[in-house]
Amino acid sequence: MIRVERVTKRYGATLAVDDVSFAVNAGEVVGFLGPNGAGKTTVLKMISTWLPPDAGRIEVAGFDVERAPLAVRRNLGYLPEHNALYEGMRVDRLLAFVGRARGLAGARLEERLAWAVDRCALAAVLRKRVQECSKGYRQRIGVAAALLHDPPVLVLDEPTHGLDPVQVVAFRDFLRELRPGRAILFSSHILSEVAAISDRILVIHLGRLLEDAPVAELEGKARAAGRDLEGHVLEIVKAKGTAA
Amino acid sequence: MSPAALPVRRPAGLSARAWAAGVRLVGARELAAYFDSAIAYVYTIGFVVLANAIFMNEFFLTGTVEMAGFFDRLPLLLAVFLPAVTMRLWAEERRQRTIELLLTLPLTPAQAVLGKYLAAMALYGGFLAGSLPILAMLLALGHPDLGRILGGYLGAASLGSLLIALGMLLSAVSGDQIVAFVLSAVAAFALVLTGNDRVVAVLDGLAPRLGVGTFLYESVSVVPPFDAFVRGLVDLGAIVYFAGGTALFLWLNARRLRRNRA
Repeated sequence: MIRVERVTKRYGATLAVDDVSFAVNAGEVVGFLGPNGAGKTTVLKMISTWLPPDAGRIEVAGFDVERAPLAVRRNLGYLPEHNALYEGMRVDRLLAFVGRARGLAGARLEERLAWAVDRCALAAVLRKRVQECSKGYRQRIGVAAALLHDPPVLVLDEPTHGLDPVQVVAFRDFLRELRPGRAILFSSHILSEVAAISDRILVIHLGRLLEDAPVAELEGKARAAGRDLEGHVLEIVKAKGTAA
Repeated sequence: MSPAALPVRRPAGLSARAWAAGVRLVGARELAAYFDSAIAYVYTIGFVVLANAIFMNEFFLTGTVEMAGFFDRLPLLLAVFLPAVTMRLWAEERRQRTIELLLTLPLTPAQAVLGKYLAAMALYGGFLAGSLPILAMLLALGHPDLGRILGGYLGAASLGSLLIALGMLLSAVSGDQIVAFVLSAVAAFALVLTGNDRVVAVLDGLAPRLGVGTFLYESVSVVPPFDAFVRGLVDLGAIVYFAGGTALFLWLNARRLRRNRA
């Protein structure tokens, strides 16, 4: 569903993403892990069609992000890092706007809006303006907007940012629920969060993909080395990151 | 909740109807955003009061039943008011970072640009509608030349269209509302003032051989094509000037969005 092949991205002289390749298949939840500035957001922005890759190739649901960006966007639910929303708009109108832009209309739009409002617990703020909503609500509005059109591919950049612990747990359950038939890639710099939700972990540092392995495999390697998962990932970053 | 195997949506070629629906959607959101804040009300009231006051002053001085006094002052007024309308269109999207939300929806940059342009044109239509009491008063007082008045409104729409497209482009290029306003106002004043006889004479006087003032008057300024409309002439050159300029600026705007997303 998501295929990233030897992708590179530069910002001027800075190499933000260096020859990164990975894939996320249907029914998989993959966590994208790395410290701030590692290149996670740049990769996700390229998958979302927002940034063009300088080299390499990205496919979403079989469509190339450069050649068929509209087809990619139709098949993708994307929550950007800053989750910027139109501050002056009412929440219900914002969701309806996003739904219509994604091709929903009539009864189908109403049905999907009701579903998203229910699942993201937005009923209390539906008639409020976005600027009146708390950070947690704003994050849930962003997730609802990303899911409205029931996309087969989900890309979420720091989806639990701004959520309280109870909401984080609820979000993990929600993401597991969304998994069947869907390819889900989400980023975080919190290992426990990534390990709790993901089938597989991608570790990125200084723009290079250092690890792409199932959570169980990483946990096994960590145990064998006498470390916890966090210590093991840090060791990978230190060893491979320095070598890179 | 979700089906076990979600179908991949094959991209049917975007039909003209679907394309227009996307434009309408962006335009309606943008127009609502004007009215969600005080912008639309303040600008409309400010423009209508100022335009009507200037016209009434001239009307009482000349005592003629015509709208020339309104249309003659319009380019200078628009050089101030339309940059204020367009400055936020892209700069605000960048400041709030909502441009990423907008341009990762299944909409083309051209749809987004055209939607915003139409929203600004609709607001400008409200400005012009505020001058209709003048027309009603003239019809009550005498028999104004309706052909010339219609030409004047066509000219006003064309001039507004060009300045809005230019202002939008500069909003996209600058990325900051204040800078966008200043750039757009300077550009608009330049387009208007190069049509002023005194300015043309001064510019020609600076380098008589080059005839810069005359060149700018004949080739660049908005005044000659606008005056053609105000005189009641539907001149092909004037239509090409305004329509071509508007299309060029909108195209450059869409191109800018494609090239410089981050």
